[in-house]
Amino acid sequence: MRTPLPAVVGTAAAAALVLAGCTATGGDATGTATPVSGGTLTYATGDAEPTCLDPHVGGNYPQALVSTQYLEELVSKNSDGDVIPWLATAWKQSDDGLSWTFTLKKGVSFTDGTAFDAAAVVANVEHVKDPKTLSSTGYLALAKVDKATAVDAQTVRFDLSSPDSSLLDSLSQPWLAIESPTALKRSQAVNCESPVGTGPFEVQKWVKQESITLVRNSDYTSPPKDAAHTGAAYLSKIVWRFLPDSASRYAALQSGEVDVIDNAQPDSLVAAAKSSQLRAIDAPRPGASDRLELNSSQAPFDDENVRRAFITGVAVNPGIKSLFFGTAKRSYSLLSSVEKDSYSDPSLFAIDTANAKKLLGQAGWTGRDSDGYRTKDGKRLTVRFPVSTNQSIPAERSLFEQIQQEAKGLGFDVEIQQLDLSSWYGALAAHKYEIVSAPYTKVGPGVLDILYNSSSITPAPSGYFANNAQVDSKQVDSLLAEASAEPSETKRHDLYDQVQKIVLEGYYVLPLYDQQNHYLYRTAVHGLRAMPTVSTPSLYDAWLQK
Amino acid sequence: MPAVRWVGSRVVGAVVVLWAVATLIFFAIRLVPGDPAEAILGGPGSQASQASLDLVRREYGLDRPLLVQYLDQLGRLATGHLGESYSLKQPVAAVLAAQVPPTLTLAALSLVAAWLLAIGVAWWSSGSGRVANAVASGLEVVASAVPHFLLGSVLIVVLSTSLGLLPPVSTGTASGIVLPVITLAIPVAGFLGQVTRDSLLDAAAAPFALTARARGESRSGVFWRHLLRHAALPGLALSGWAFGSLLSGAIVVESLFARPGLGRTLLDAVTLRDIPLVTGVALVSALAYVLVVALGDLAERLVDPRGGRA
Repeated sequence: MRTPLPAVVGTAAAAALVLAGCTATGGDATGTATPVSGGTLTYATGDAEPTCLDPHVGGNYPQALVSTQYLEELVSKNSDGDVIPWLATAWKQSDDGLSWTFTLKKGVSFTDGTAFDAAAVVANVEHVKDPKTLSSTGYLALAKVDKATAVDAQTVRFDLSSPDSSLLDSLSQPWLAIESPTALKRSQAVNCESPVGTGPFEVQKWVKQESITLVRNSDYTSPPKDAAHTGAAYLSKIVWRFLPDSASRYAALQSGEVDVIDNAQPDSLVAAAKSSQLRAIDAPRPGASDRLELNSSQAPFDDENVRRAFITGVAVNPGIKSLFFGTAKRSYSLLSSVEKDSYSDPSLFAIDTANAKKLLGQAGWTGRDSDGYRTKDGKRLTVRFPVSTNQSIPAERSLFEQIQQEAKGLGFDVEIQQLDLSSWYGALAAHKYEIVSAPYTKVGPGVLDILYNSSSITPAPSGYFANNAQVDSKQVDSLLAEASAEPSETKRHDLYDQVQKIVLEGYYVLPLYDQQNHYLYRTAVHGLRAMPTVSTPSLYDAWLQK
Repeated sequence: MPAVRWVGSRVVGAVVVLWAVATLIFFAIRLVPGDPAEAILGGPGSQASQASLDLVRREYGLDRPLLVQYLDQLGRLATGHLGESYSLKQPVAAVLAAQVPPTLTLAALSLVAAWLLAIGVAWWSSGSGRVANAVASGLEVVASAVPHFLLGSVLIVVLSTSLGLLPPVSTGTASGIVLPVITLAIPVAGFLGQVTRDSLLDAAAAPFALTARARGESRSGVFWRHLLRHAALPGLALSGWAFGSLLSGAIVVESLFARPGLGRTLLDAVTLRDIPLVTGVALVSALAYVLVVALGDLAERLVDPRGGRA
């Protein structure tokens, strides 16, 4: 059962309102107002509480959300998707692509007084690559970096084992933020409680299951190039609260107890669009789109006809429209719409149930059992669909149920299994799935190399593999390798297009929508924006109207 | 010395319960898929390197046979060592020390509120005729059946969003505890009310009640001095159960109202396969349950001086 908010009844009018409300992607409507310094902003997050505030350790989205306020990266991206300077002011790739030299910003200090210099960057690379740090996301992003060397105080060189055209994208992610080398020398338990960065705020206190208190760094000097102002942040304090239930989170925003919430659900977005007190930011996460992947390594989806029958026979648009009240736009791409290299082809996904049934017949699924499902050699056309309840919102789980019903019309028996995160990964590792929806956040098209390279079929030591569709194509592999080594952006774009075409035309994947990421905030909040890198909120430019 | 024997049997019982809980948790959590080494490495699906995994398995002794790990775990627990949480990298004892008080406060207040509600409704309906009685027992059935998340969400929408009387989330203000307490208390009150009402009606029909009225006692005098003693007995016997249901209800209520506490800790710990923390929370809950049952038993003896039933 879902939370009984009065707003769950979506109407066409409400949906239209939401669309109108969401097109204004952040910023503030009263742009002429003069920023006010001071005040405490309360942010309520619906994401899980991090177990460590240092995003080098592990490396997940909840860590990225909060660390965006106190840690900074070498580079960032602007809203056009171009890489822009941050802690590094310039960079250069060697002709063989095997070394990158970064010039660092001068006069920057960490909030513990340690100077930010080349030695600090080297210490951070070593920290992420040290197995004892237990880094996963950052570790993977630095996979091709052999070592970093301080050339002089303001210059650092990265030496690579093979060329990596997505290195800058990787370095723009919060999981590779630069921390104080002095602070990193403390024990991991201590550094997890109070990591030290160069950011506009610093961690003051963390009360578990309740909140993190961040205070302004008054000596701040290093905003990214696309920030709206320079110098210290306007807000003097941020209270970062953990409010896991979406209905109470929205209620707290409505009552003014909190100023900003993340993970706003479709029903809240519809309700907020009708309120003059609230505004929305729609900031899809980068990397992959949310999509269903069909396991092509085993029956029945090892047969392209069966995959094609499923993808062109199951209509998802009506479900997306009604269950998300128009807050989620249908995607026809492997990549998030924020990715410049996203290739989209709606024509491949045109619904043709008659043809889908014909394809299933050609694939030999001609029998019918007493429940109306198709059979072949006495075996039912069953596909298992493990769903992670931690990674899937209620509206999405309802959509999956609609997909189940739609597929039944074709003769598919879709077995939805709702699992907690650990069990879900367990089911994947044991190949007990034919359909799966696995979100993947990463900056840049390099995510294709993780998701569709045949090397990602081999499980990592932890049992995890990212190529859930089990795409095993030499052509895809070589195009991805070429793209990784290709210095020209235009040529890379073309190579990534070809990869996406092959995967889409092979009917391995049914794209649904971008990874949903909606913020709601009170109109008294100005200057809030989502970072163009991984769409985390930045409160540096934010201020509160008195 | 019946008192010593009573305490002795309670202590033995408690140790058996704790051992059973520790054993059950140890094996149950390993039956479900999910690698504890992964949990330590930042949660499921971590793309940890082989070097990190090996390091963790060695450091936490996860590479040894299951039986050895089990005996080792029992040995540690017997000497009072709860170990270190995989996910929070903190001693379990420290996590519990921080999370037990808010949950105990919530559960204790809810139990008191539930009793007040149950007795209040019983008092109102006992003297107000058949219709009041039917209405009250109807309310009790509904109250005892309503799920916490539904009740909590409705209370938030009505009392917080629409009327603006109480804060929708629990932290930050003293009044924040009101909604969680009401949410937890109502179902328990419904249940206590049901069992109390039955014995209340029995007692009211008993000869001693009539005698008391004949002596000239007022209705409330009879209710408070005579009837309630009888009527409260089955409810008191069930207080242990009620407390257990409050602890499990805390899992939902703490998440809904964003309160810190054992319930949320347990939920996160299970999701992350944080074995030491799950074990710690389970042991503390079991211990609290054993204590409350013993206290209920004691209260029962005080209310009912006839005694000699144990």
